[in-house]
Amino acid sequence: MKTKHRISDHLQNATDMAQGLSLTQAMNEAARCHLCHDAPCSQSCPAGTDPATFIRKLRLRNIKGAIRTVKGNNVLSGICALVCPTEQLCQKGCVAAGMDKAIDIGGIQRFLVEHGWEMKFNPLEKEEKKSGKLAVIGSGPAGLSCAAEVAMAGHDVTIFESMEKAGGVLRYGVPSFRLHGDFLDRELKDLKELGIKFNCGKTITRAGAEGLLKKGYNAVFFAPGTWKTVELNLPGIDLKNVCNARDFLAEMRSADQTKIAQMVKGKNVAVYGGGSVAMDVATTAKSLGANKVYIIYRRSMKEMPAARHDLDMALANYVIFRPMSIVTELMGEKGKLISLKGIETDWKKPGETSSANLVPVEGTEFNLKVDVFVTALGYQAEPASKEICAGVSFSKKGLVETRNDGVTTANPLIFAGGDIVRGPALVVEAVADGKKAGQKIIELFQKEHPGKKVAKRGTR
Amino acid sequence: MAKIRDLSINICGVKFPNPFLLSSSPVSNTAEMVARAFDKGWGGVAYKTIAHDRTRIIHPSPRMAPFNYENKSLVALQNVEQTSDRPMKDNWADIRWLKKHYPKQVLIVSIMGFSLDEWIDLARMGEDNGADMLELNFSCPHMTVEGAGMKVGQAMELIEKFTSAVKKTVNIPVIAKLTSNVTDITIPALYAQKGGADAITAINTVRALTEIGLDDFVPKPNIHGKGAMSGMSGPAIKPIGLKCVTELAQCDGLKIPIIGCGGAETWVDIAEYLMCGAAAIQVTTGIIHYGQRIVEDMAEGLSDWMDAKKFNNLQEIVGKSLVKTVGTDAFDLSRQGIAQFDLDKCIGCGQCYIVCQDAGGQGLGWDSEKRRPVPDDKQCLSCMICGMVCPVDAMVSYKYKPGKQEILPPVMG
Ligand SMILES: Cc1cc2nc3c(=O)[nH]c(=O)nc-3n(C[C@H](O)[C@H](O)[C@H](O)COP(=O)(O)OP(=O)(O)OC[C@H]3O[C@@H](n4cnc5c(N)ncnc54)[C@H](O)[C@@H]3O)c2cc1C
Ligand SMILES: Cc1cc2nc3c(=O)[nH]c(=O)nc-3n(C[C@H](O)[C@H](O)[C@H](O)COP(=O)(O)O)c2cc1C
Repeated sequence: MKTKHRISDHLQNATDMAQGLSLTQAMNEAARCHLCHDAPCSQSCPAGTDPATFIRKLRLRNIKGAIRTVKGNNVLSGICALVCPTEQLCQKGCVAAGMDKAIDIGGIQRFLVEHGWEMKFNPLEKEEKKSGKLAVIGSGPAGLSCAAEVAMAGHDVTIFESMEKAGGVLRYGVPSFRLHGDFLDRELKDLKELGIKFNCGKTITRAGAEGLLKKGYNAVFFAPGTWKTVELNLPGIDLKNVCNARDFLAEMRSADQTKIAQMVKGKNVAVYGGGSVAMDVATTAKSLGANKVYIIYRRSMKEMPAARHDLDMALANYVIFRPMSIVTELMGEKGKLISLKGIETDWKKPGETSSANLVPVEGTEFNLKVDVFVTALGYQAEPASKEICAGVSFSKKGLVETRNDGVTTANPLIFAGGDIVRGPALVVEAVADGKKAGQKIIELFQKEHPGKKVAKRGTR
Repeated sequence: MAKIRDLSINICGVKFPNPFLLSSSPVSNTAEMVARAFDKGWGGVAYKTIAHDRTRIIHPSPRMAPFNYENKSLVALQNVEQTSDRPMKDNWADIRWLKKHYPKQVLIVSIMGFSLDEWIDLARMGEDNGADMLELNFSCPHMTVEGAGMKVGQAMELIEKFTSAVKKTVNIPVIAKLTSNVTDITIPALYAQKGGADAITAINTVRALTEIGLDDFVPKPNIHGKGAMSGMSGPAIKPIGLKCVTELAQCDGLKIPIIGCGGAETWVDIAEYLMCGAAAIQVTTGIIHYGQRIVEDMAEGLSDWMDAKKFNNLQEIVGKSLVKTVGTDAFDLSRQGIAQFDLDKCIGCGQCYIVCQDAGGQGLGWDSEKRRPVPDDKQCLSCMICGMVCPVDAMVSYKYKPGKQEILPPVMG
């Protein structure tokens, strides 16, 4: 894997990932930790990651034990270390911030996972073989974590994935400067060692969940994510070089980036939206050699939903921010985008920062000379997802309706998790859902095949 | 700009411009290195121990290994270095050159003989080549030559014999450098004094084993598959050095001055050695760790502290802590106290709570809502470990509880 630059946020190119901490750097960071009683960091991860314990283990030179803790709680802990908005999660309540700054928990976590790979130590353990058979639809973080949970209990697990490769958003969304494909493959290798079967290039279609149950699977975990983009009704939206973030980022993760590089290099690019995905697109465009890259966002910088780190990354790469602005028209010449028209916004009622409270301000109209326009306005459930699972109820937005546990559906043999339940959310939340659903499925299999004791899942 | 005070001191009639000396080791191996150190402000040198050319010296390779603690490197240093491996004539030439170009700095020549005539020979050559003082190395704990170094420092009659032979040979003051690897360091010191020694240097490295390889089971430094007990130096041995210097300074029969050595890196360490009774302090590992530049901070720091404490000269500091260093039976046990918490400063890590529960008197509760310790004065043992683990300055302090405590008669146990 190419990991060149260290520490600096400024990208050298679009696909290289920053190097992780060295042993010494990780030990230095661990030495700053206060090893708190009742540590806040360990209470704030949706997936139950336990930094207080793995940092203590590292500090006391129990490195294998630390890796066991990291991986044992979260089978995608390497990936989460890279993509989690840690400042909103584990690092949020960090007591060390009271002295200077929060511990770089993500950095230590990544170090431990990579160190385990270096030492060829995979703590994930499989129990004796059992008779349950699980089908997982979707190989995003939710599907992967559920598959691992159930496979570790000794059951047979097959993942069905429509794309060519496994990973979901991790493979076709998150830019590789944050999560390189090699890193993803390496963490998937740990899962493959559990015997999980990957059936890629296989889309499950209408009534497919029932079909799988009929074919002999004892349960289905449904985790197709939310892949439909929120479209914009704007004059000029059909012009050439206008696209959405999903396609832009997926192209970046494809084998050949020459086409997209050609579209962007030396050109002016405008990205519409203020979330992490918008930042990812803008930073990527900049790293591909774009001239000016704008982020246009209707509310203020303060309301931007992007994770701090993603925002900083865009800033460090000279992305230009135009908050409190909306786009009104895309202008073209010979079918090709040449500029956009926009107008600034203000709050109708001061102090209230919802988008419904926004108004365009007369006299603030502006023109930007842009060659590429990328919408990054969010994702929704694919309407087709509904048709896959009979007996499961869906909301108006096309999301699965579950019981309070967040994973049990109206069909007792079908469980769901990740974005298809929550709407666009976080990787670590998808992991948490998969883990929880996995535990429910193990219980279900146990009920169906009593006699054998279900041991609490262990790590080596 | 810092104004450095006069830090000079007199030892055995020799004027030291300041108490900061390079000790005999790689940091004092050549005239070129020592000259640079003098330029930076070091007041003198105990030049790297010279042995007789008759025995060829070869250093084991590698010869040092660090002792690390958590993320901190060089808490101590383990070494198996021998005496100087340079030809004697090169060392004498260097010593002559140094004396000529740096007449004000004190030049102590360290020697080690492997027989009586070698001691006499080396002593004479040392004086002839311009040494201000001689230091007899009775203390290296890892000589590859049988019966040398520390072996002498542990054999009292040999100390006396070699010291007295040297004293009869030269007119310059003679220092005996002693090892701490004995039960009571005052005994070899008294023998050295009997032999005529004019001063004592204490201590040399402490015989130790700092780390052992987990893959190869070899103690470090790993000399191609073999390790050995050898000399440990650096901050970890300062407490042993302070103990030895204090014992020497408090020894009634010992009338000669003491030069401290062992683990000094900062002016604080220097001040402590002075208070224990050392008149000057030698340094090696501090320089191995940070370079010669540390002397600037020693001088500035010591000078400021002397101003703050209104000391007129260095001599006033020497032995300052001795009257307050007593036997434990002299404590006033009627005076007791408790740990006191300034909770406004607390950052909520709870380490105090953990250690009080597990190693103290269970005198702290925990408010998990507020993330704050809840002191229970009645249970507090005043052991103060809460304060030791607290990351915040001055959040935990010791508070004396006035009023005489009733003293119960001692219980046999
Ligand atoms: C560009 C982008 C960047 C993001 N960056 C971050 C980030 O930095 N940090 C973070 O925490 N979150 C981030 N997120 C959100 C996060 O990626 C998602 O919350 C998470 O991936 C949801 O996981 P999932 O398993 O539910 O779905 P997905 O990751 O979407 O995976 C679903 C998988 O199911 C497959 N599938 C769908 N339908 C079928 C079918 N019918 N048959 C077979 N397979 C099917 C899909 O091809 C896909 O591979 C980002 C999202 C995007 C879009
Ligand atoms: C590598 C090394 C070599 C040393 N060689 C000698 C020596 O030749 N003669 C000697 O008297 N002491 C020698 N010492 C001991 C030092 O002079 C000093 O007494 C000891 O290291 C303790 O001081 P420090 O903690 O400041 O290093 C050596 C120490 C080290 C680390």
